[in-house]
Amino acid sequence: MELKIKNLSKTYSNGVQALKDITLDIPQGMFGLLGPNGAGKSSLMRTLATLQQADSGSAMLGDLDILKDKAEVRKILGYLPQEFGVYPKVSSYNMLDHIASLKGIANKGERKELVESLLNKTNLWDVRNKSLGTYSGGMKQRFGIAQALIGDPKLIIVDEPTAGLDPAERNRFHNLLCEIGENTIVILSTHIVDDISNLCNNMAIICLGEVVAKGNPNELTEGVKGRIWTKAIEKNELVNYKTDLQVISTHLKAGKTVIHVLSDNKPDASFEAFAANLEDVYFAEITSRMDSTLV
Amino acid sequence: MFKEIFLFEIRYRLKRPATWSYFGILMLFGLIVSIGGNGPASEKVFVNSPIAIATMLSTISIFGIMLASAIMGVPVYRDIEHKTENYFFSYPITEKGYLLGRFFGSMSVLFMVSLGLHLGLIIGFMIGPYAGYEEPERFTGLNLWHYIQPTLMLYWTNFFFAGCIFFALVSLTKRVMLAYAGGAILFITYLITLTLTQDIENKDLVSLLDPFGLGTYENVIRYWTPEEQNTMTVPFQGMIIWNRLIWVGLGVSALLFTLFRFDFLKFLNKNYTSKKKNDNIDESNAAAAYTKIPTVSKVFSKSLNVRLLFDLAFMEFKNIVRDNFFIAILIAAVLFLFFDAWFGAPIYGTPSLPMTYYMLEMKNNTYIILIFILIVFMTGEVLHRERNVNYDQIFGALPLPNRLVYGSKFLALAMISFVLVNMIMVSGVINQVIKGYFNFEFDKYFTDLYLIEFPKYIIFVLLAFFVHSLVTKKFMGHVIAIAIWVFLFGLNQLANIDNNLYLYSYAPNYTVSDMNRFGHFAEAQFWFRTYWLACGGVLLVIGYLFWKRGTDSGRKARWQIAKERLNVRTISTFFILLGIFIGSGGFIYYNTKILNNYKTEKEGIIATAEYEKQLGKYDKIAQPKVIDVKVNADLFPENRSAKIKVTYKMVNKSNEIIPSLHLNWGSEGLLKKEVNTFTIEGKKPKLSKRYKDFGYEIYAFEKPLQPKDTITMVLEVTGFYKGFPNEGSGSDIVYNGTFLNNNFLPSFGYDANGELTSDQDRKKYKLPIKDYSLPSQTDAWGLSNLLFNDDADYITFEGTVSTAPDQIAIMPGYLQKEWKANGRKYYSYKMNDELDFFYNISSAAYAVHREVWKGKAGEKVNIEIYHHPTHTYNIDRFVKGVKHSMDYYAENYGPYQYTQMRILEFPRYASFAQSFPNTVPFAESFGWVGDFSDPNDLDYVYTVTAHEVAHQWWGHQITPSATRGANQISESMAEYSSLMVMKKEYGVDAMQKFLKEELDTYLNRRANESKFEKTLMDNDNQQYVWYQKGGLVLYALQDLIGEKNLNNAFKAYMEAARFRQKAPFTTTLEWYDFMKAATPANLHYYLEDSFKKIALYSNKVNKASYKKMGNGNYQVTMEVESSKSYFNGNGKLLSKGTKPNLLEIAVFDNDTKNKQGMTIKAPLVIKKVWVKPGKSTFTYITKKLPVKVGIDPYNKMIDRIPDDNMKTLEENAE
Repeated sequence: MELKIKNLSKTYSNGVQALKDITLDIPQGMFGLLGPNGAGKSSLMRTLATLQQADSGSAMLGDLDILKDKAEVRKILGYLPQEFGVYPKVSSYNMLDHIASLKGIANKGERKELVESLLNKTNLWDVRNKSLGTYSGGMKQRFGIAQALIGDPKLIIVDEPTAGLDPAERNRFHNLLCEIGENTIVILSTHIVDDISNLCNNMAIICLGEVVAKGNPNELTEGVKGRIWTKAIEKNELVNYKTDLQVISTHLKAGKTVIHVLSDNKPDASFEAFAANLEDVYFAEITSRMDSTLV
Repeated sequence: MFKEIFLFEIRYRLKRPATWSYFGILMLFGLIVSIGGNGPASEKVFVNSPIAIATMLSTISIFGIMLASAIMGVPVYRDIEHKTENYFFSYPITEKGYLLGRFFGSMSVLFMVSLGLHLGLIIGFMIGPYAGYEEPERFTGLNLWHYIQPTLMLYWTNFFFAGCIFFALVSLTKRVMLAYAGGAILFITYLITLTLTQDIENKDLVSLLDPFGLGTYENVIRYWTPEEQNTMTVPFQGMIIWNRLIWVGLGVSALLFTLFRFDFLKFLNKNYTSKKKNDNIDESNAAAAYTKIPTVSKVFSKSLNVRLLFDLAFMEFKNIVRDNFFIAILIAAVLFLFFDAWFGAPIYGTPSLPMTYYMLEMKNNTYIILIFILIVFMTGEVLHRERNVNYDQIFGALPLPNRLVYGSKFLALAMISFVLVNMIMVSGVINQVIKGYFNFEFDKYFTDLYLIEFPKYIIFVLLAFFVHSLVTKKFMGHVIAIAIWVFLFGLNQLANIDNNLYLYSYAPNYTVSDMNRFGHFAEAQFWFRTYWLACGGVLLVIGYLFWKRGTDSGRKARWQIAKERLNVRTISTFFILLGIFIGSGGFIYYNTKILNNYKTEKEGIIATAEYEKQLGKYDKIAQPKVIDVKVNADLFPENRSAKIKVTYKMVNKSNEIIPSLHLNWGSEGLLKKEVNTFTIEGKKPKLSKRYKDFGYEIYAFEKPLQPKDTITMVLEVTGFYKGFPNEGSGSDIVYNGTFLNNNFLPSFGYDANGELTSDQDRKKYKLPIKDYSLPSQTDAWGLSNLLFNDDADYITFEGTVSTAPDQIAIMPGYLQKEWKANGRKYYSYKMNDELDFFYNISSAAYAVHREVWKGKAGEKVNIEIYHHPTHTYNIDRFVKGVKHSMDYYAENYGPYQYTQMRILEFPRYASFAQSFPNTVPFAESFGWVGDFSDPNDLDYVYTVTAHEVAHQWWGHQITPSATRGANQISESMAEYSSLMVMKKEYGVDAMQKFLKEELDTYLNRRANESKFEKTLMDNDNQQYVWYQKGGLVLYALQDLIGEKNLNNAFKAYMEAARFRQKAPFTTTLEWYDFMKAATPANLHYYLEDSFKKIALYSNKVNKASYKKMGNGNYQVTMEVESSKSYFNGNGKLLSKGTKPNLLEIAVFDNDTKNKQGMTIKAPLVIKKVWVKPGKSTFTYITKKLPVKVGIDPYNKMIDRIPDDNMKTLEENAE
């Protein structure tokens, strides 16, 4: 099964165009959606999760029209929103059991088994009887993934799932996703480049509602190989470099500003070649666009 | 720093659309009320009089608490809601600066917003005179002070203290819901004070406790006449100051408390104390990663959906009942229900037994208001449940069909509604058990609650559901839902739109009776409930289309979703419901409009005006008078019809030739009539003219009727009902408890009682203002007719009546024979003596209680009490009332004219007693089920029986002429007689309470007079004058000139005027002359003041103290102040009395009890003294320790401020 998104567009009633003519083919496995804040990732994901209307375009999951057959889509959907709440006075066990029954798992025994395994899997077993209101951010997030996994979903959408998790939890979370991602479509949105490079075979970069790059992370990285140059400069020189060159990112290293520049040739002798990674691809794609709109 | 925060707050608020929409709503409301002239002013008061403005402002401020909670609840909460608290408090600001800045900023905005109302009113009152909804002369000029004064005293003060409390609640608890709950509590406090106002003894308590000062203020203006209401503002003094101090004090202390307690740290702390933090569990559970997730089977079937529907509904139900707000309001609501029921359905302040129908009716008092608020709020909660906890995205993506989610929410609210109706039964049964009443009648509970009330709550839910589905902002939804109801209420109450077909959820009123149970009301209830349920269903489907699932609330997206949801199923449901809605609406229209001729109030007024314009020319034309009546009546209670045949013997008593007979049937009412036979002298008369709209027919006599000619007329009429009306019960003929009177048959000639009376209406429809409805005491026509009926003088009567086999039928006269035939019961009655032409025909399944009264001369009167078999509670009180009355009246006025006295019970569709010759019907709710266990409660069975029996003398022996003031001869005399029977029974020292009650009613009603107050001599239709003023004045008169002396005069009058066979019949002039003859000359001033003028005293005790004397006696010194003012009918001061008046001065011990256990006064000294106007000082010696003193302490005189006549003594220690 494959998810085919064609020419999907959406403008909110306040005039913001969240999605501009998005076309994507998403195969089985993990698919990463990378983009800066406000790029339209969540809009896209909510649309795929049947929570939002699109103005035009289509999204087909196999034969299933996501925009029309919402009821059918929901039967095979697992969704973890970027931000979500829970009933504070209900325990995670009861809540998962409740959601499982709502997801059509009518058999009590099966439900029990499922809920228990999910609690184990997400390491919530010990706190299963505590009310959700007392959970820490990480625990809540794990509860979120547990509920998304209920009912053997064929399409899993997780929106910035690792925001707010500590490194160990993030790691475990990735493992969990990987395991599931073998037989299903998992769409993961994030603005952390590493998440994608670690997990996904396919990805797309979205910026200002548009798909600006898509493909395999490695292949995308190939595209900028040998074109990334780096140099440590004084902070006040940055302006000059920015006017002359396509500076795609700056960061600080030992008090000095280190810049990455995209250029087919070495700009000058003081630059060093840099082994390109996905981050450079990302910055290369978005910097120019963001600058042109934001400046 | 304060300044920055303050200014920021104001600027922030001014940019919010909510601020301006609140302002706009208030302004709109002001415009509607003022342009339409829908304010709280009676006809003689300007719609923008200072009192009307103040009343409007303070009433609106009650609803304004919602506004105050919305504006004052959020300024601090905003930082939590938008999560700005984390950094905001890290700025260098102090807690006090922050709080005060936010507080005063928001308060200023609240005040600003509240001025929307003023703007609306001021503009509206300028437009009003030209808009045409109200007569231009009812508007007076703009006087800003009339707005500013009540705004400062009531309106803003209310906003201020309520705002303080809400602000404090939210700042300290961080829960914005508490602001709403606080608002609810204030509202409930107000409702409690409203309940308390039923008893005037609670006046001061109400004045202090009413949070909004409305009750306080109403107590001040209670007796203000139109003239005063038009010119004066309510002075800021006395109780108002105390009330304002209490409530503003409460607000300010709440604010100060907050100011000292508020602490950024605590505010930031997310309840760490209340939450148990989970221990750090072992995060590296290696096994976790290897757990396999089992594969499961998923079912999506109809049966599972049904189960899920109930699961979800039940879960939602549990969520609601666990909600603290729900619990709090429900408890308050049930408490109200309970206490409303506990205090019963008082009549004259006396409670009633806890009959099941009373328990049921309590649901329409405060309970329904709170339930309604609860339903709106809970519907909001339910529809926003997921969004509130931010769970909507997960929930929205679950594979649940829309209709299942939507349906489960509706189902949960239906379950809640079911719980709510059952609360009424729980409260009712508990009340009954505690009061030792065990006749629960669960069938009545079930029928009323499950079949009538429950659907009504569902209808409420449907509208709230619709609004909250459409409006995605919860608070906005609440405001809109409540605004819709306020609007409906306003249309109904203020704009007088009363067609239930057009007011959502409205239905005709119905009355449950013990005699007639649910009677004939069921059909209308069924159709109206069906109609509104279908309407609500249509709304529910529309709501479903637009209901928000997911995150997209853009208009475009919701239209898209609506289109998606518009499938065969929704469309067909929609059209089926719409079909039922339109179909049942059509059926209702057919019944109310076509069958029962529904008229709007305006149409009714126009028709009445037309009646006068077209038929007024027949006023006072000569018609023959009935002298003998034979009735043959067949009642069919089981199908609510009656066939009545009368044979009238009629004489031309006038000096004119009468060419034709005018039959006045009245315009068609609920009771339809068909004429079966109509003959005059055995021949069918010829119709010469018919006014169909007014049911007025003119038949020419074959031979014009010469003076003294006698003819016989036979008329047989069948009366029956068709369908159901928009309102009104059509209760003349019912299944059990038929109560017909001679109105069943047409009267002769034009009846001026059917004319418009209101000056304003008459002006509007170009009719001359009519100051009096009756002609003067010297008018020839007036003198030659009797007051109650101009179709006859006195008549003789006999007749036969038949009814259903299980019922007893009653007519005037003595029972001659009773028999069974054709499976029906027949009774034949004959009256040996004469009676006035005013009789009733009743039939019901009665039980009969019989007693005999024996007079001093050995005469006997049979007392028969016809009552509903279970209503045996107060029969002895009726009997005692009759016997004591007979005793007093036979001795003081002369003999009783009949040998029987019957008291009948009739269903509670009306609440009154009425005196027919030898028969007094009492409504079911009027006495039969009263609870007289507390001797301090007025035994109105006794007193009203005394009043009605007195009418056998004053009304039926002396039937006054149809002239001005004549009603006094009947009503004031009956009221006086009743007071005298009470005085004899309870003792003179018990009378103050009753007299004060009369005085209060008189003062209160005259303040709301819509024409002008009339005097006892010429009053023709003001009940408060003939009952309350008349009773008081006559009571005081016997006190001044002696009881025996006055009664002798009445006896002489009775002898002179009883059963007067020929005109001129008696008038107030004759009555007055008899009283005047008995009154010494130095007291003639009292007769003049009382009967011919409007004079009000203002007597009070200024200072009073006592001193113990050497011989063990006490010396009491008091300073009293007395004045007497004369007013014209509009309440305008004419002059002040300058001469001394004979008034009572007294010194009292503590109150004591009489033999009935009633609290009474215990005078140590009581003297009648000539008191000059102004201040006087009196000194008395008492043997016992004195407690209180008073001037006119028994409230015998008409006194503008009855409360200050007594004062508790202080010891003079020198």
